[in-house]
Amino acid sequence: MNQTCFGRRQMLGDSFCGFGSLALAAMLRQETLAETKSSLGPKPPHLSAKAKSVIFLFMAGGPSHLETFDPKPLLNALNGEVRPTEFGDAKYQFVQKDARLLGTKRQFQPHGQSGIEVSDLFPNVSNVIDDIAVIRSCYGDMVVHSAAQYELLSGRVMPGFPSMGAWTIYGLGSESQSLPAYVVMPDPEGALEAGQPMYGNGFLPAAYQPTMFRPGERPVLNLELPPGVSLNERRRTMDLIRNLNEASLTSQDLEFAARLESYELAFKMQTEAPDVFDVSRESEETLRLYGVGTEPTDDYGRRCLLARRMVEHGVRFTVVVSGGGSGNTQWDAHGDIEENHCRMAAETDKPIAGLLTDLKRRGLLDTTLVVWGGEFGRSPEAQGGKGRDHHNLGFSMWMAGGGIRGGQVVGSTDAIGLRAIESPYHFRDIHTTILNQLGLDQDLLTYPHLGRNERLTQLRGKVIHQIV
Amino acid sequence: MAGRRARIFFRSRIVALSLILTCCSAEVSYSDPPKSSQLSEELDFFETKIRPVLAKHCYECHSESSSELQGGLRVDTREGLRIGGDSGPAVVPGNAAQSLLLSAIRFQGLEMPPEAKLEDAAIANIQRWIETGATDPRDGAATLPASALNLQKSKGFWSFQPIQVPALPRVRNRSWPTSPIDYFILAKLESSGLEPAPPADKSELVRRVYFDLHGLPPTPDQVRSFVMDESPDANERLIDELLASPRYGERWGQHWLDVLRFAETEGFEYDRTIQGAWRFRDYVIRSFNDGKPIDAFITEQLAGDEMDFNQPKGMVAAGFHRLGAVRRNAGNQEVAGSRNEVLTERTDIIGSAIMGLTIGCARCHNHKFDPISQTDYYRLQAFFATSHDVDIPMVPESEKVAWEKQTTAVQTQIDNLKSQLATQSAIEQTLTRKKMDKLEKELPPSLPSISTVQNQLGKETPIHVLRRGEFALPGKRVAEGIPLVFSQFDEPAEIDRAKPRTALAKWLTSPRHPLTSRVFVNRIWLNHFGQGIVATPNDFGLNGKLPSHPELMDYLADFFMRNGWQAKSLHRLILLSSTYRQSSQPRSRDVGHSFDPDNALLWHYPLRRLSAEEIRDSMLVVSGQINFANGGPSVILPVDKQLVAQLYKPSQWEVTPEIGERMRRSVYLFAKRNLRLPFMEVFDQPTSQTSCFRRQQSTHAPQALELLNGPMANQMAEALAERLRHEAGSDVTRQIDFAFEWILGRLPTESERRFAKSFLENGSTREFSLALFNLNAFLYVR
Repeated sequence: MNQTCFGRRQMLGDSFCGFGSLALAAMLRQETLAETKSSLGPKPPHLSAKAKSVIFLFMAGGPSHLETFDPKPLLNALNGEVRPTEFGDAKYQFVQKDARLLGTKRQFQPHGQSGIEVSDLFPNVSNVIDDIAVIRSCYGDMVVHSAAQYELLSGRVMPGFPSMGAWTIYGLGSESQSLPAYVVMPDPEGALEAGQPMYGNGFLPAAYQPTMFRPGERPVLNLELPPGVSLNERRRTMDLIRNLNEASLTSQDLEFAARLESYELAFKMQTEAPDVFDVSRESEETLRLYGVGTEPTDDYGRRCLLARRMVEHGVRFTVVVSGGGSGNTQWDAHGDIEENHCRMAAETDKPIAGLLTDLKRRGLLDTTLVVWGGEFGRSPEAQGGKGRDHHNLGFSMWMAGGGIRGGQVVGSTDAIGLRAIESPYHFRDIHTTILNQLGLDQDLLTYPHLGRNERLTQLRGKVIHQIV
Repeated sequence: MAGRRARIFFRSRIVALSLILTCCSAEVSYSDPPKSSQLSEELDFFETKIRPVLAKHCYECHSESSSELQGGLRVDTREGLRIGGDSGPAVVPGNAAQSLLLSAIRFQGLEMPPEAKLEDAAIANIQRWIETGATDPRDGAATLPASALNLQKSKGFWSFQPIQVPALPRVRNRSWPTSPIDYFILAKLESSGLEPAPPADKSELVRRVYFDLHGLPPTPDQVRSFVMDESPDANERLIDELLASPRYGERWGQHWLDVLRFAETEGFEYDRTIQGAWRFRDYVIRSFNDGKPIDAFITEQLAGDEMDFNQPKGMVAAGFHRLGAVRRNAGNQEVAGSRNEVLTERTDIIGSAIMGLTIGCARCHNHKFDPISQTDYYRLQAFFATSHDVDIPMVPESEKVAWEKQTTAVQTQIDNLKSQLATQSAIEQTLTRKKMDKLEKELPPSLPSISTVQNQLGKETPIHVLRRGEFALPGKRVAEGIPLVFSQFDEPAEIDRAKPRTALAKWLTSPRHPLTSRVFVNRIWLNHFGQGIVATPNDFGLNGKLPSHPELMDYLADFFMRNGWQAKSLHRLILLSSTYRQSSQPRSRDVGHSFDPDNALLWHYPLRRLSAEEIRDSMLVVSGQINFANGGPSVILPVDKQLVAQLYKPSQWEVTPEIGERMRRSVYLFAKRNLRLPFMEVFDQPTSQTSCFRRQQSTHAPQALELLNGPMANQMAEALAERLRHEAGSDVTRQIDFAFEWILGRLPTESERRFAKSFLENGSTREFSLALFNLNAFLYVR
């Protein structure tokens, strides 16, 4: 509390546009009487934290585990056959019971010291595999996009619940003085099935909502002055607001301290954030590392680079989405798994490896948890000959940084990649592990809603101890 | 209502009461422990080696004391183990191999206890115990008499008690109360050593009342005429005038729409528009304006289609059941599963909106806190078993036929293309999709229609108690009925199968129902004072907050029903009280804070930030742009195109072309689940995914950015600047006074005028206007 107060007082006192007037100083001395209502002040974690920030690389549409991180020689051997009954049943979105198994054309090789097998879709990520813990035994409850995306992001199969980003900033507040605490960078290709509600604050107050970035140099709405208004002019307007607010201030209006603070932060965002968004000042070498300036990596590379800059400036939770618009511009490879995944991987492999490398060399990887995955994996059976259907019973995700012990594989699916059989981990376990790295306890991070204390994980999840 | 008809309709109370007594006496009989002197060697083994292990590791989830009995299995009685739970007998005496208990603790199949395997010795003991006959002295039922247990627990809980008419409490300060309400409030304040705040001054009060009843600021003329009116009934006349205005229903309708998580699209992937949902919105607004009795209002929403067969009014009201989010997406739809999701929504909202109970918790297990069993939940759901969605076109038959013909023609082509997709290459697919998109645009626009429900007796959905709430695990089938706890009150005796929801509505709106009136009265109170007498308005159950003023709660519920369930008479009662007319500045904040930091006892009027709708509507009013047209199809405002691009189908956001229409009040803006206006979102407009009983009031930087740089605030500031120049001419002082009177409801003080003047010497009127929109004095009501 003292720390926080001091920080804010100092900030107000030093403030650029002079909110730190005598009247305000007098008002803040009375803070023992009333807590500020500001929702986003930094808060201490429940447990000792390893990560301060999270970057979620959201592979929307559902990347195949069979083409990426989960090699299945038997599946290739059974190519064209009907699934042997001993593997059990599965319910798909489109594929029917008579479908034939589909082997993969991708080649798997062991990489790094750890010798983890990764497919040739990811030559660059393979180079940093020793920083990565691959979880080959993920599963979820839903086999259609919208509901599965809600579950991945918010732990529920329906909209209206806070996302993991919203929960994170509800738990930890913001450390950034010039940027929003929770940022989503959607794929400019377009929408996802679950729409904006999947990222939202649900029933948490609006302070915990995400800031959706737009493509281009001005990603945040309302950061620029309106046309025809100069910064000088606006500064006078801000002064007028302050003077008039104070003129009607009585000693009892402590409620308004938080509002003053929010204007202060707004002004800082306005003046400082554009510099953070400007990636052009990065070195040539860094831009190349992310694949910025060359196709097909430019777009995702820029967004990954922006994500690193967010982390540097104290942003807690950043989602960088790969995939949007119609199914084939997502990882949703119903028609042709080869064509789709080669394209999607080519867009993201270098940027992701670049991000991990860059975070590491800047000493940021230790405190930044990077999570990779989609709302489900893909079916061992072919759809229409060359495609794969949705598949939620067993698929891969990975984590790196933020205290995760990389260079290891957790869990496994059966011999054809149908079902997670060894150490299966549900989305709620992924969520619990993310919270754990941030020092948040799923049982303490609750909010009363419609008669119960809701939490991100609904049913209690478990920490994936093998990797933390 | 309480006369002859009621007697026919309701079953005798005595029968129900005797049922409870039977359950209670049954409970006493199996609590005597065996006497130790009788213990044989086997019993001794059980008591020392088996019972402690079961108690320590299993009772939490599998006994009478479990808050939620897992797997239907009790291990705290002999019969419980032998008959077993959902998976069958847990103990078969003499047969270890067939005893599920043993395989579970050996982690073969089931893994029990889930935290950690028992020690080997304990497992061996249990095996020996089973093999030697599983001697077990513990009498008692195999299953848990859950509802009896919960009924017992909740007996005497305030919200399940009949509404009592309390006497007015004694107070010391006899001169303060002007309304019965004040006695209840003052008595609590006095007993806590607090005193009420002084009365608000008239200009403060008039602004408060306008925002409270209309969600709009008073015009300078309205302020003046009230402030200068010295007559003793000035206050009363103001309130009556405001309650008679159509603006009242627009404000109070919104509160109810929040509770119903009203939206005009279905959410999820397709986020399809619910045709004619705006008619429901208009119905709600009209009902408030017309002073419709709230019992009739609730009945129409629950069963309008049954009451008023094929009449649009009732059908529109029953659109109530269509308001929840509906999952529709590409691919194999599990038809029965989707139906179950819809029924769940329909059941849960009855609990949260009307009964103020978290009935939804009992979908997967007996309610952890309230006397609602899982069976109760599904019995309630069974009232909806025959209700199915219907969209009734509001056009002549010939037009309907033509529309169907045209639609079928295009849809067939789309379906044909769709069926080709599966076998096509990626490039072919892209081309096919393009063709499909083009065809979709050729589909004729939906016919104007009413989205509602109707009973289809031939299509009854069988309602089962679902294990863990999972659709794939149906248990026993149940018929419609009310939760057992309410059998101490009236309950429907015979339910007309053709009109099940009419019976439900009749039961809910019975004057003897302990919850419906209390819950509604609390909502009205909440929207006048920022918090309810019960601070958890959707949860009057054992886990909810207790009422801050229980007698007042009952007084108001009784008053409300005696006055014909009239919301307006309740507003009048509240607004004329001294409690309501207190200043927001308390006499001593220090004293109040130390006793009651949340102001639950109301030692001053609570400061309130305007809602998103109030901020926008107020800016429209003061800038002179507001369009006060009533009702009709919703208005879609332009938003950042990147937001529209994030929609499943950007064509779902078709901006209303007429500029004048875009100046309508916010309650008439299109409520789309997957795209909310950034301006509204940032000021805590609810998501409309779940019931919202109270608006959040968060404070964060994006609000400042929205009000400083956002297009809405800047357009309004521009318009206000224009208006200032137009109506006040070039005289700066007049401009300032005019702006203050409209925006803050008062003239500026000397120092305010000085600041404003010095700004306007070389600042623009537009920036000046914008600054005023950012003032606390504009954004808050005190």
